[in-house]
Amino acid sequence: MSGSKPDILWSPHHPDRYVICDSELGLYRIGPVGGTETKPGTLPLSEETAATLLAINSDTPYMKCVAWYPKHEPECLLAVGQANGRVVLTSLGQSHNSTCKELVGKEFVPKHARQCNTLAWNPVDNNLLAAGLDKHRADFSVLIWDISSKFAPETSVAAEKIRISTVDLDSSMVVTKPLYELGQNDACLSLCWLFRDPKLLLAGMHRNLAIFDLRNTSQKMFVNTKAIQGVTVDPHFHDRVASFFEGQVAIWDLRKFEKPVLTLTEQSKPLTKVAWCPTRTGLLATLTRDSNVIRLYDMQHTPTPIGDETEPTIIERSVQPCESQIGSFAWHPSSQNRMVVVSATNRVMTDFTVFERISLAWSSTTSLMWACGRHLYDCAEDSAEGAESTVEKDIATKMRERAQSRYGHDTLQVWRNHLLAGGNDPQLKSLWYDLSYILYVSHMKQCAEDMELKLQGNKQSLVYSGIKNIIRTSSGTTESRRCWIGSDRQTDVPRFSSEERCLALRLCGWISRGPDIDVETFLRSLEQEREWERAAAIALFNLDIRRAIQILNKGATMEKGDLNLNVVAMALSGYTDEKSSLWREMCSSLRLQLKNPYLCIMFAFLTSEPGAYDGVLYESSVAVRDRVAFACMFLSDAQLPHYIDKLTNEMKEAGNLEGILLTGLTKDGVDLMESFVDRTGDVQTASFCTLKGSPGEVLKDPRVQCWIENYRNLLDAWRFWHKRAEFDILRGKLDPSSKPLAQVFVSCNFCGKSISYSCSAMPHQGRGFSQYGVSGSPTKSKVTSCPGCRKPLPRCALCLMNMGTPVSSCSGPGKSDEKVDLTRENKLSQFNNWFTWCHNCRHGGHAGHMLSWFRDHTECPVSACTCKCMQLDTTGNLVPADSS
Amino acid sequence: MELHILEHSLKVASIEKEGIQICTHGLMKLAFLASKTRCKFFSLTETPEDYTIIVDEEGFKELPQSDLISVADATWLALNVVSGGGNASSSQPIGVTKIAKSVIAPLADHNISVFMLSTYQTDFILVRERDLPMVMHTLSSEFTLLRVVNGETVAAHDLGVTNGFVKPKLVPRPIIHPLSSPSNMFCVTSLDPDTLPSVATLLMDVMFYSGGSKELGTSSEDSSHIRFFSFSLIEGYISLVMDEQTAQRFPNNVLFTSASGELWKMVRIGGQPLGFDECGIVAQISEPLATADIPAYYISTFKFDHALVRERTNINVIIPKIQQFLDECVSCFQTRS
Repeated sequence: MSGSKPDILWSPHHPDRYVICDSELGLYRIGPVGGTETKPGTLPLSEETAATLLAINSDTPYMKCVAWYPKHEPECLLAVGQANGRVVLTSLGQSHNSTCKELVGKEFVPKHARQCNTLAWNPVDNNLLAAGLDKHRADFSVLIWDISSKFAPETSVAAEKIRISTVDLDSSMVVTKPLYELGQNDACLSLCWLFRDPKLLLAGMHRNLAIFDLRNTSQKMFVNTKAIQGVTVDPHFHDRVASFFEGQVAIWDLRKFEKPVLTLTEQSKPLTKVAWCPTRTGLLATLTRDSNVIRLYDMQHTPTPIGDETEPTIIERSVQPCESQIGSFAWHPSSQNRMVVVSATNRVMTDFTVFERISLAWSSTTSLMWACGRHLYDCAEDSAEGAESTVEKDIATKMRERAQSRYGHDTLQVWRNHLLAGGNDPQLKSLWYDLSYILYVSHMKQCAEDMELKLQGNKQSLVYSGIKNIIRTSSGTTESRRCWIGSDRQTDVPRFSSEERCLALRLCGWISRGPDIDVETFLRSLEQEREWERAAAIALFNLDIRRAIQILNKGATMEKGDLNLNVVAMALSGYTDEKSSLWREMCSSLRLQLKNPYLCIMFAFLTSEPGAYDGVLYESSVAVRDRVAFACMFLSDAQLPHYIDKLTNEMKEAGNLEGILLTGLTKDGVDLMESFVDRTGDVQTASFCTLKGSPGEVLKDPRVQCWIENYRNLLDAWRFWHKRAEFDILRGKLDPSSKPLAQVFVSCNFCGKSISYSCSAMPHQGRGFSQYGVSGSPTKSKVTSCPGCRKPLPRCALCLMNMGTPVSSCSGPGKSDEKVDLTRENKLSQFNNWFTWCHNCRHGGHAGHMLSWFRDHTECPVSACTCKCMQLDTTGNLVPADSS
Repeated sequence: MELHILEHSLKVASIEKEGIQICTHGLMKLAFLASKTRCKFFSLTETPEDYTIIVDEEGFKELPQSDLISVADATWLALNVVSGGGNASSSQPIGVTKIAKSVIAPLADHNISVFMLSTYQTDFILVRERDLPMVMHTLSSEFTLLRVVNGETVAAHDLGVTNGFVKPKLVPRPIIHPLSSPSNMFCVTSLDPDTLPSVATLLMDVMFYSGGSKELGTSSEDSSHIRFFSFSLIEGYISLVMDEQTAQRFPNNVLFTSASGELWKMVRIGGQPLGFDECGIVAQISEPLATADIPAYYISTFKFDHALVRERTNINVIIPKIQQFLDECVSCFQTRS
């Protein structure tokens, strides 16, 4: 059998031994590579493993097929099928066992010689060995031998035996009478015993697959097919069988044997081996001729809620265990996904483990899971709360937490939303303060109570449009030079003021009301928040150097105060406007070493020339609102719009939410928000922000709609259905166009009219219920008949009462305004009384009854209806994650 | 019982002895290099008169056009009887005997000419393609008819050709061709296709150079010796029929032999070339054999038919038996008419 393809068999009991059979049998032991020195005779199989040749057996020429005896003892007994149909038992290595001696050398000879194609040991009754032979006109092709049978010479046959064969055999070792003979006048190309019953033998015959039952050999079950080679039963799914023909693999289900349940994509070259992985369900490996890859088919049944006939999903891929062409391969019986591959020539072996596909799932709550082989990995975000975690939380986690804390929903104290967001994001803080100022100011104007602001109605929109637009319309700017407060020294710093600049300062939060620039309230609030440096800087910019020093002093003396502030105060007190003083020189150079940006800009302001405040204006760590307020005070009409434009573009590019102050909630603001969302992915803030105050045109922007929809989807994905409903309500208030129309109507079976619609439209409803015998007090009564045609409404399948809506709170026509305010008490009907029905079987009843029924049942409550209503509803069994 | 109608469209041809040289290239390709052709059915039988070739249309393309080759003008289809699901364990009669009553006799009764080819693996009954509807009609009562299409076995439907064909009256088979039995013994054997290359030269020698002087010298001493050799390669299966002396030239363990190692005696049918139109020749021989439960092979060639019976069977017993059977039939016929 030289030149024929090699094959590999793993020992059924020793996980480290296998046999290679080509022209001879070679037994190998596989083990780890032993240190640095390699023993002579070991063959490296992979980086970690090597094989040692233990024994060679070349006693059996004309080998066609080999099968390993499945019993523990004798452990190394092999059945070899030969080209002339004889089956010989042989062994590898030494075994002094007496049963082994009895068996080794035993021959099983068919009546008519022809090639033995396949051998299969019975997995339960280990004495039975099935041999599949080629066709003979007068003989059987499936012979089942009993290896324990003693040779019982039949007289007639014995006489003829003398002539048979050329090889002189000890006749006691030759068995000529098989236990069973099956498949007359046919050829058998492949065989396997079925796991589901050890009396069943599946055989790939000439043009059909046949299942022989040893209990009744005259009957067989068969199916005509071409795919008759290499039949093999899935070890994990005993009804699943694979067989092949040329390049095509057919998968059969023995329970539905008429045709293959599926056929795999055809290969261009003929297949040589097909094998199920014994350690992994549904994994089939195939090998074609002249190929250096093994194709793997991963067949997994995906469960579907509805028991439809669905084909299993098959994932096909190839692995290349070695460079050379593969002669054969064999899965390791116990080691996961491992196989040994032997090359087509030169018997080069490779130990190879198929790397399992990784399946990965990302949950909506930011935990990531992946599975590889039998391992499941969970990657959750570090939930070290409070402590300064080195890694910033993922935006999805943040949004989820914020959604839970009702972020965005504080419509009265808008600025508080930044606290709901966690209160540690300066940009969000700035944003919500901006929004609260904008809303406050616009509210003021809308109420027109603030008579001091005699702005025309057409200027109202300016507030929304941000400082950038407010400044652009600025006119009537006055310039003034003022003294340092508390000193009569004239400053040479010109200060500008106008109505618009004043409004801008308000939006910046520096002043609260009135034309006078009085920052004292603001300074006090800053002191409360212990923002000493900022307060000092603002005091200084208002030319109150004394107040600034006082603030710094206060800051230094407070508990846990920074004593360095005193030093700064000292430095500040030495201010001189002398251009060439040492103070000025030192301050302008040393100020850069100050860590606090506000301290830094204080000195920048004091040491800069009037009108050239770049040190202040472009200090990026200073809050935008302070810089803008500063600019509004000290930049001329020529400089100011230029600076604001520049800053706006900077903010837009960076997606810095502080820039909302400049852009307002306009198109510019949406642009800015877009780059913010691009940078952070925070659609939550974007949704709430754009909803909050922006006029209709902004809400119509497709980007805005996209954020809102995405945020709603996120809430759905988190099962925050109540939160989503709240959001939708809020959205409906702010953007009435987003309110969905009623989508579901309950219509009467008889007249087809919507029962709720006609309920409110019907003028004489009183007669409606009294006529149909709804007794008791009117407050408890319900409309249990169609208000249109007066026919009764359907009955609940459980309580058998007619369904209906309580009439008591059913407001009469014309009072529809009240319906807007649907608080819990005012609802027309409790959810438990709602109409529900299955879209499949059309049975239904009160929602509460149905829910409680399906808590314990799967089938419809209507007798004789087998509809599994609840299972049809894929989301029906989910519970909201925000049970509020 | 299933009757498989195979998908091969077969040609039957005869190559005259002196014409074999021009065909050797094609024949060798068909016999030894099967993977180089798309031929699935090839049989070559040498008789003292000629070489008979049975080959499918793909294989027929490999043969040259020549005056020395005569081709039977019909296209033939091969039928094959498979025992199907039924009784597996009972010892059944072998070969032609098994199908004599169920296939051969009914076909003969319906005047359908058949051409037989027995191999180591099975028996093929060749019928003309044009006779197929009638064949199916005739045999549909006895068999599950299955047709092989692209390698898949599918149910064949009776084409329903009853119009005009009433069931023919049972004609006894009055013509008896002369029978003769050569003295040499034959064996029917096979070999592993993998070992074919190792014996290819020997096979070539046997197939194409039998007329060589060396061979002639040894065999001519017995005038009743007959030169007969058959090689077939059908769907990957090799079958050989050769006499004992030729078989001994093969190395040990190459040829598949039955455990009993039995040899077969030949009965040649026909004194004149039999032609293709005469019906009932096979039936004449097989029916009495079946009645007597004697296993047999039957190989039709272009000119004559050959039956093989077991060596132990006394040939002189058979011929009278056949004769006796025929006489009975004739007398039966005579008494009826």
